[in-house]
Amino acid sequence: MTDTPLLRVRDLCVSFRTPDGVVRAVDSVSFDVHAGETVGIVGESGSGKSVTANALMRLNSGAQMSTTGSILLDGVDLGSLSEEEVRLRRGRDIAMVFQDPLSALNPFYSVGDQVAEAYRVHHPKARRPEVRDVVVESLGRVGIPEPVKRMYSFPHEFSGGMRQRIVIAMALVNSPRLLIADEPTTALDVTVQAQILELIQRIQQESGTAVLLITHDLGVIAETTERVIVMYGGRVVEEASVESVFEQPTHPYTLGLLGSVRSLDSAGRGSLRAIPGSPPSLIHLPAGCAFRPRCRFELGEGSLCGSSVPTLSVVGRGKSACHLDVAERERLITAVDG
Amino acid sequence: MLYFILRRTVFAVVLLLAVSLCTYVLFSALPSDPAALTCGKNCTTEVIERNRVRLGYDKPILEQYGLFMEGIVKGRTYGPGEAAVHCPAPALGYSFKRHQCVTALISRSLPVTISVSVGAFVLWMLLGVGLGVLAALKRGRWQDRVATGFSVIGISLPTFFVALLAVLIFTVWWPVLDFPSYTGILTNPWKWAKALVLPWSTLAVVSASTYVRMTRNGVIEVMSEEFVRLGLAKGVRRSVLIVKYVLRAALVPIVTIAGLDFAALLGGAVITESVFNLPGVGKLAIEAVVDSDLPVLVATTLVAAAFIVLANAVVDVCYGFLDPRVREG
Amino acid sequence: MNKSRAALGVLVGGALALAACGGASKSSDVGTTTTVGSASDSGHVLSFAEETGGVSATNEGVVEGGTLNILDYNSGASNLDPQRIYSAADLSLLGSTVLRTLTSYKIAPGKDGTSLVADLATDTGTASADAKTWTFTLRDGITFEDGSPITCADIQYGVSRTWAHDVTADDGPLYATQYLDVPEDYPGPFTATAEQEAAFSKGVECRDPKTIVFHLKLSVSDFNFTVSLLAFGPVPKAADTGDKYTLRPMSSGPFKIETYDEGKTLVMVRNDKWSQASDPVRTPHLDRIVWHFGLAEAIIDERMIADQGDDQAAITYAGLASQSLQTVFSGDQYADRRTDGYNGFVSYTIMNLKTVNCLAIRKAIWLAIDREAIRTAVGGPFTGTFASGFINPRLAVDFAEATLPEGLNADGTANTEAAKALMAQAKDDPKCASAYKLATETGLRFDHGASEAWTKVISIWMDSLKAVGIKIIDNPIEPKDLYAAFASNPGDMMRGGWATDWNNASTVIPPLFIKDGGSAYGNFWDDPDYPGFVERVNAALVEVDRAKQASMWKALNQWLVDQVWSIPGTYTRAQYLVGSKVRNAYNWYPFGWYAVGNIGLAA
Repeated sequence: MTDTPLLRVRDLCVSFRTPDGVVRAVDSVSFDVHAGETVGIVGESGSGKSVTANALMRLNSGAQMSTTGSILLDGVDLGSLSEEEVRLRRGRDIAMVFQDPLSALNPFYSVGDQVAEAYRVHHPKARRPEVRDVVVESLGRVGIPEPVKRMYSFPHEFSGGMRQRIVIAMALVNSPRLLIADEPTTALDVTVQAQILELIQRIQQESGTAVLLITHDLGVIAETTERVIVMYGGRVVEEASVESVFEQPTHPYTLGLLGSVRSLDSAGRGSLRAIPGSPPSLIHLPAGCAFRPRCRFELGEGSLCGSSVPTLSVVGRGKSACHLDVAERERLITAVDG
Repeated sequence: MLYFILRRTVFAVVLLLAVSLCTYVLFSALPSDPAALTCGKNCTTEVIERNRVRLGYDKPILEQYGLFMEGIVKGRTYGPGEAAVHCPAPALGYSFKRHQCVTALISRSLPVTISVSVGAFVLWMLLGVGLGVLAALKRGRWQDRVATGFSVIGISLPTFFVALLAVLIFTVWWPVLDFPSYTGILTNPWKWAKALVLPWSTLAVVSASTYVRMTRNGVIEVMSEEFVRLGLAKGVRRSVLIVKYVLRAALVPIVTIAGLDFAALLGGAVITESVFNLPGVGKLAIEAVVDSDLPVLVATTLVAAAFIVLANAVVDVCYGFLDPRVREG
Repeated sequence: MNKSRAALGVLVGGALALAACGGASKSSDVGTTTTVGSASDSGHVLSFAEETGGVSATNEGVVEGGTLNILDYNSGASNLDPQRIYSAADLSLLGSTVLRTLTSYKIAPGKDGTSLVADLATDTGTASADAKTWTFTLRDGITFEDGSPITCADIQYGVSRTWAHDVTADDGPLYATQYLDVPEDYPGPFTATAEQEAAFSKGVECRDPKTIVFHLKLSVSDFNFTVSLLAFGPVPKAADTGDKYTLRPMSSGPFKIETYDEGKTLVMVRNDKWSQASDPVRTPHLDRIVWHFGLAEAIIDERMIADQGDDQAAITYAGLASQSLQTVFSGDQYADRRTDGYNGFVSYTIMNLKTVNCLAIRKAIWLAIDREAIRTAVGGPFTGTFASGFINPRLAVDFAEATLPEGLNADGTANTEAAKALMAQAKDDPKCASAYKLATETGLRFDHGASEAWTKVISIWMDSLKAVGIKIIDNPIEPKDLYAAFASNPGDMMRGGWATDWNNASTVIPPLFIKDGGSAYGNFWDDPDYPGFVERVNAALVEVDRAKQASMWKALNQWLVDQVWSIPGTYTRAQYLVGSKVRNAYNWYPFGWYAVGNIGLAA
């Protein structure tokens, strides 16, 4: 490990102009990913985690969007690069796996073609037999049986899990430094989910690729990652190692998320105890702390919670953005935990 | 796949037979007496009856249909004595209004209609799809507004009006072109194209509008598809992405509609052919209506129906090639 | 696309109505009169003398050769088969170019064009004393386009084709079957037995290859006019293709048909087997005539007005559309290229003498109607000039302006007071009792062709006559059924139209007013003066002295006007515009159009 992180994100803001107003999908997000590391970003839908992931590859598009802040890949600011320079890094340095393997594969081409394409884009001089070998190898590596035969099949001829394996194969065909997996298991059956996570872990170990795993599922985070970034309302609210988050969450929202996971564990399926209320509208974020309306510890009318946005500050082994006094927070959280 | 094609062909043939029977019976059921229509202005009942027997209109409809089908296979002779006329197979009837075998009339009109259709089709697809893609890629910008505006204007202008205006502008008021007069492509390709420029453009302008909108919407929809984003994430060039990913997917539904539109055009571009004086199937049909020329009417209807049935089959097969997902179906 | 296709149906339907009044000699201009914009309400002062076309009617600067273009919205020629041609335009077009007959009209402007001249024959024929046998001698050097000589047999064969109702479809005139002494069961040459042919050749006899004798069932003093119809023209038996002959007839004239591409063009080129020496009628100047079919109607007038390129050597098959008239006829810009003249038709209102058997009432009706308002309703002065009788001015030899009833306003407006006086007179006349009761109480049934223009016209009739106490019962009839309806169930008044078949009022007065004349619908035979009238008509029919005959027709026309057996409407007119290089494009009176074969082009 070097001192320079593989990926350094600083003050990333992404906003969209919509007919209803400006949406600040991502607001002052900063984090690092080191080489070979597995980092998780967790949050409800609308928390800005997917937008963050897309911003890392400059995939957010549209005339009404603006991105500020810096994304340094190996010390190079992606924002300062030309579109063509970014394109050359896509798939080669950073690869991506999407949520829905059903729609992520182009239905009109065979899977072999698609894997081959991912390789060819960055190896334009590669000859046919070489490409073929690469395709067969990478399909085999992600566990597609009989890859020589199956490479001619079309996406619709595979199951969801198999398709996600193919997407992963495609992502890894150029041995990227960073793999962004955006909800890679959400659309899959529970049994298949485990297999895919296992695959990602295995590959990460084999190739030393850093993985940024984006999910709403803390269970997935617990199994796979080393460090967790918790997002809410477009901001990072907590960042810490997996162990410390699970053992000692320092933000009421993280606590809520853990609550929903634990209740699932104890009470079984169906009685998921969600955090009361719903995620905030990004157009009309509440003043002050975005989580205040749903927070059971909020300090009430006229307090800081209602007037100023809490900043991320070091709490224990991690960082957290909350106005509650640290000691008070620990007391409250432990009480609930117990 | 082979089985798919075979099944589709058999279905098309059966459908064509049914359509021909329906057409024949329907037209025979019209209140106008086909025998009376063969007779001049000084007509007597005696002549009408004689013509009825001569043309077989005295027989039951199904028997007439049988004779009609027999004529298609074996050819047919109309009229007695020295004045009899023979139409070789496939005989679709004899037009007493035009004094020619219907098959000859059709086979003379078809190249005209095909010339009009193919050129117009190519032009309108290029225009429609091109502008549609442009509008989708430049969504919300001036290019989009121009293309969308063009589409609205094209849709709201009647073909007749555009055609007439085109002729007046380019051949009378600002005579850069001759008044269109069809020349066979084999006779003189340059004259052929020159005569068809206006009809092609007219049809293209009027018909492309729908395609601008369809393509624009299709492209915008496909652009938001996950696989396109993944393609981008793979590092595929934007231009390649648009052709290989976006257009490919967006065009599949357009092919279906385009196929049927093209078939309808082959059945006769009635208005365009009339205004531009192109003696194609559409003009033949409209004149048959005006003249109450029943045999020609039946034949042109059949030709148009045949094109639709054929196009449906072709589109289905094409669809199978285009979209791997329907192949098994 | 479907939407616009549906719209076309309407447009084509509209075009149909126009096409229906294009040309046939016997036609009902009444039912199909098209609604056109009124020229009289435009504020321009328009002259209603005929316009002859200025320079374009002369042969000024004509050079030999060149190609004439005929612009036509029809998809093809209606017929080219001589036995099937009947429309005035086709008779003049084909008669002056491709098809010759025993006699023809002189090709000349004005009245001169109505004189009969020898064509294939050496003279205009010789009649027997009873005018039942007509003999014609063929001149030397006359050939078909293949060089074979035209003989009596070819004319005999041509005439026989009129009987082949199933092939020639009765498209042409049927005078041959009405006049010639041929057995009724003769079926035409295609299916006739040897005996039937032998019987036929007794009626149409070839005395020798150069002498043809027509034996008639009845006396026809102007049969030599009858044979000027193309239906009496030669057809070589060997070249007869039955129904298809109408696509490519054998030429006997200065032009022959090179190609006929239906829906596109018909190209005529010079017939090198024709010699000027053998043809005293035609003087061709052109090399080629190209008849362009299927042009959009809206475009034709625009092209003629623009007068560019080949259109400078163009004429149009149909007349100008009403919307072009204002442009063409205001000012002198187009004076050298435009013509405005009679097309040979007369419109009139037939009185039913069985029911309206009272002269005072018939006269009152004529005086009471606002003819000017009616003409305005159908399109104004360009559509026609008020008629004073039943013989068209185009029939110059027989035409004379008739003396109109006293009190009739010359400007076409109603004279209600005079009409009221006549009605008062009828009221007191016991002979008029039933007619007076019918007119004032029951109402007179007025049969006319149904059209948009006529719904306006009939309301003017109703208003005009209401002012004098006469009621009208409107009875619109589908135009195509009009004459059949007149024949089977005549109304009290009926609106009709007529044009001559050849240049003799024998094709006007007898057919319109004599029982079994073909188109007499007014129960005229119920009039006590009918026998005397018939006697005078028969005398005129057999009169061989043409000048004397003409004066007899004029007198009969005056008598009909005096008796108001029918009320004359208008002499209908048509307007044309030719290209600036076109010469000799004058109105050939017998047909109301150009003798196309004699047209020449200026450099």
